[in-house]
This record gives sequence, structure tokens and C-alpha cells, in this order.
Amino acid sequence: MAPIDRVVFGDNQFFGINHMSQDKAQAMTERFLHIDSIFDVYQMAFDSGVRAVMLNSNDRAAAICDRFRAEASCLPAISWYPSIPYPHKYASLVAEKGLVGALNDVVFHDSALGGLGRILQGGIAFVSRDGMQLMRTLVDAEMAMFKSLDVRVIFVQNIVTDLLLGLGVKDFFADYCEHVRRKYQAKPGFITQNLPALREALIAWGIRDVVICAPVNKIGYLMSPDLDTCERATRDNDPADYEIMAMSTLASGALPAIEAYDYVNAQNIQSVVFGASSRANIEQTVRLISERR
Amino acid sequence: MSTEIRVGIIGAGRMGLTHHSIINALPGVSVTAVVDPSRIMTALIAKYCGVRTYGDHQAMLAREQLDAVLLCTPPAANAEILEQLAAHGLHTFVEKPFLLNAPSAITIARRFADAGLVNQVGYVNRFNAVFTEAKRLLDAGVIGDVIRFRSEMFSPTITRETDESGWRGTHANGGGAVYEMAAHSIDLIDYLFGQPDVVTGTWMSSVFSRQVEDIVSSTLLYRDGRAGQLYVNWSDTSYRKPTNKIEVFGREGRLLADQHGMKIYRSTESDAFELKVGWNTIYITDVFESVPFYVRGMEFTAQLDHFIACIRERRPNRCSFTDGAATLGVIDRLFADFAATRGVLN
Repeated sequence: MAPIDRVVFGDNQFFGINHMSQDKAQAMTERFLHIDSIFDVYQMAFDSGVRAVMLNSNDRAAAICDRFRAEASCLPAISWYPSIPYPHKYASLVAEKGLVGALNDVVFHDSALGGLGRILQGGIAFVSRDGMQLMRTLVDAEMAMFKSLDVRVIFVQNIVTDLLLGLGVKDFFADYCEHVRRKYQAKPGFITQNLPALREALIAWGIRDVVICAPVNKIGYLMSPDLDTCERATRDNDPADYEIMAMSTLASGALPAIEAYDYVNAQNIQSVVFGASSRANIEQTVRLISERR
Repeated sequence: MSTEIRVGIIGAGRMGLTHHSIINALPGVSVTAVVDPSRIMTALIAKYCGVRTYGDHQAMLAREQLDAVLLCTPPAANAEILEQLAAHGLHTFVEKPFLLNAPSAITIARRFADAGLVNQVGYVNRFNAVFTEAKRLLDAGVIGDVIRFRSEMFSPTITRETDESGWRGTHANGGGAVYEMAAHSIDLIDYLFGQPDVVTGTWMSSVFSRQVEDIVSSTLLYRDGRAGQLYVNWSDTSYRKPTNKIEVFGREGRLLADQHGMKIYRSTESDAFELKVGWNTIYITDVFESVPFYVRGMEFTAQLDHFIACIRERRPNRCSFTDGAATLGVIDRLFADFAATRGVLN
């Protein structure tokens, strides 16, 4: 399979996600209320030479995918890097109904899943015997919106990756990878804030050819267990086994771009995902990432 | 203690699973048993996490060799469970609000202290790098003597009328914005300023809930003249995530903080604090410390890492059962004050 794109354009800026400031997050939410303003920014990214997009399967992503399909003839060929699931949807359900209530709801009532309970013979009792069948069905439900797009890697969101990594659920990692390869002919990917621990677990479990997306910044922000261990794991890594995609490269804005990418470019990473919403920032970031390989 | 610490978890709900994941990933710690009444949860956990599971805590305590327990159940049943954990000599971390009133909390705190067992309540803000830095700076006098403060919390938790049949529906089971959310703001007040002497002007409002409050506000007074305001609203959809805010006014300036950053206004320059006249900003990225394993916020790992360190090194705990009892003391007074005020109005 082809190597992953060097530069991937992310989506946090569109959905009011700013780890540093609620006010900034709010301002971005307002700016991108209309899908046209989202596409204005995508156009800037494409003008700068970006050809790869990471998009979380959130409640606005389906409309974005529809528009990409509708305007395919006017847009360059894009490689897709979806991330699933949309954690907020499940988090609210769990907050309201508890874990078991949420599970019941998803299995029996979620319209997006089309009455999963009927598909899974025996419903909830079946789930407890084969959680992996439920996982595959949930993946398919989340992936429906990306149908017919050129999907290269399907990432699991870090809250899910890291929760299941800590719990030691090997079956999830193995079955997920197999499902993504077989059903979507895509590479499996995991977003994590524990790069060394995830890589070690994948090695121990014999799971290879996986993309790991993790924070890479010189202050070690969101890099567990610490900067040194992450740097060592990245240095020792063979990209043939695990391609690494850097995220949080600016450490939520703590680092100026030039300094940040001087550091990122010196690491043994294969790709960078970044988000920005002004033409100047997008152009500068693409230039800085591309400067050295 | 260099041997592995064996942990049991009671309650595999959202917090129980999160804590399970974090503590299981800490070096030298492993979760060996989980208790939950749901057969689906225990079946899934037994199958995929490779731990033994039980339908109730007595069965686990009878059969397992444990060093510590994380108690993550709704608080109504906690008094009896905590008594048994103390009797079994188990170091215990309990999710907030710990219990439902101060008298029972004081009794339990004494039991654990007398038995020499590590005891901690899950008030996670005490492990957030911004709030710990705010405490360090306030204690050192960064804005001079504190005169007024505000402790607020907002979240989009209850945003429509919902089914109230679960434990969250009533005070008797520990539901409502006071037990579930304001507890965090009150604990921050206790952590930063100490326990208030008077709780007055308390009001609770319902937005969507029928049996419990969604908003609570109150005024907290101290004998030394300091005064503070509490305001907590868990039906505020203008917030994307639960957010704690504090605002402190002192003789020499003002300090504003939330989980992500802090702003300090100084009326004069301070060489000691390296602060200029006017606004100074400190971000989480300036003060964070890496954690061994990240699941959902550094403070969640930091608090369990601290719990384990207290077991290994016999360190004093930053958020003990005694601290948890202090917060419940304020909660008791909030309910009493609100009942009195409502009595006057009726």
C-alpha cells in the first residue's frame, strides 16, 4: 500500500475544538456555522498544495462529505483520513443513561445503525459474548458517510484508543485492524497520547503496518509518559512497521510555527496533520513541513 | 513497597472504566478484579480485559488478595462498602462526592486514618496544573491579601427533560447539580481558601430536572472578612465541556483561572513573581507536568498516580477523606440554608 501523505489537513478548527481557550473555540464555531466558510478554508489548503484530509465522523461531517462528492469534478483528487467515532455522541448518551443504558440504546434504538439489535441475533446478550461484532457494526455505521471517497487510513480517536489500551483489550486492536483492511482496503490507524505504550503493545501483540498519530512537539505537551521516551520510541521506530503522523505540533499554540516545525522535521516521523484557518498560516505551515524530509 | 500493587474496582460505569484504564497502565500496578451489578459489563470485562469479575463487593473481598480499591459507585451505598474496605485493610480511592453528608464522612475518615490506610476522594481539580499553580501563587501572595473570590462551574450536562429513574434523579442517591458538580467548585474553595464560616443566601433552580436542582448559587463568608460567591449551572449549553472557573480579587491584583490557563492582573510590577503591571497570562502549556499514561486529561492520571505514590511512600494525601468531609460539610449547609430561605419565601 502507498505511503501516507506527508501533509494532512485536520478539522479541529472547524468544530470549536481549542484545548487552550473556550472563547477562541466559540469564535471558531460561529465562523464555521455555514459549510461555505469551511470550504473556503479547504480551498486555501488545496491552493497550498494539500491533497489529504483528516475528518472526524461528527454530526457535521456527513454534510461535508456530501459536498466533496458533489463537487468532486472541481476539486483536486483528495486522500481521506477519517477518524472515528465521534466521541461526544456516545459521551452524552453515557452521561444520561449510564454505560449499560447507552449500550442498550445503541444496540436497539440508534437509527443510524438501522436496528442493530435485530441484526445481532439475541441483541444485548449476544453483545456480551461477542463485543467485536458490535465494534465492527459501529465502525461500519460511522464509516457510512465516507462512502466512495478515497479512504487511505481509518483512525480510531484517542479517547477510545487510549481507554482500550489501558484496559489491555488486545482483541479490539487486532479485530479492528483486520476489519479495516478487509472491508475498506485501508490502513488501520490509531490516534494516541501514549505513543511509546501503544507501539510497545502493538509489537507485543504482533500487529504491524499500522499508522500511529500522536502529539509531537518540543515541549512534550500531551506526550505521555514524557518527551524523552516519546523521542526514543520515534527514533527507534521502523516506518515499515508503524508510520507516524505528528499532531499537536504547535502544542495548542504554545510554540511559534518556525520553531515548532524545526523540531518536528528533525524527528523520524512520516506525516504531519495540522489545522489552520487563515491562508497565511496554511501556506506557511505547508511550506515549513515540506522544507525538509 | 516494590511489589506490584493489586487493585480492585467497584463500579464499572464511566468513571470506573476510565480509572481502570489509567491505573492499570501505571508502572507496577494492575487491576485484578472488577465488581459491577450489570452482567453485560462483567461479561465484557472478564472476556476482554482478562480480570476476574463479581456481581457484588462482598464476593470480591472474600476471594481476592488486594492492596487497594477504587470505589466508583453512586454515593448512597458507599458508607457500608467503605466500612468493609477499612475492615479488610484496603487503601481506598473513592469518587466524589464520597458520601451524602458530613457526619458519616467524618466517621469514615476517622476509621481510615486510625487504620493507617491511604484514603483519597476524586476531586480532580486538585491535580490540575493550573489550579495547583494558582494555589501556590495565591499562598505566596501573588495578588496580596485575598478579599473576594468567585468559584463557578458550567457544563452542558442536563440540557433537556430526561428520564429520572436512574440514581441521578434524586438527592437520596447522590443526584443533582450540588452533589455531582458543585462539589467540585466547593472543593476548589476549600483547597484554595479553606472552609467558610457562614453559608448564606443559597438558591437552587430547576431548569430541566424535576426532582433535583440544575443551578445552585450561594454566598460564603469567613470570620476574617473574606467573602466568596459560588455559582454552578449544569444546564448551560454555551459551554462545550465542564469548566471550572475561579476569580480572586486581592489588595494587589486579580487572578482568573480555569483548567486551561490563568490570567493575573497586577496593580504594580512584581520582581518576586516576575509579573508586569497589568495582565499576565500563564497557559497550561507553561505549567503542565507529563503523566505516565493519558486517557482523558492529565489531572485524572495525576490523581491516581498520587494515590499509588501515597501507598508506596506513605506520603500525606492531597485530597483525603477529611477533605472530602469538609466539602460535604458545606453541601449540608447549602441544603439547610436553601430550605430555610425557601421557608421564608413560602
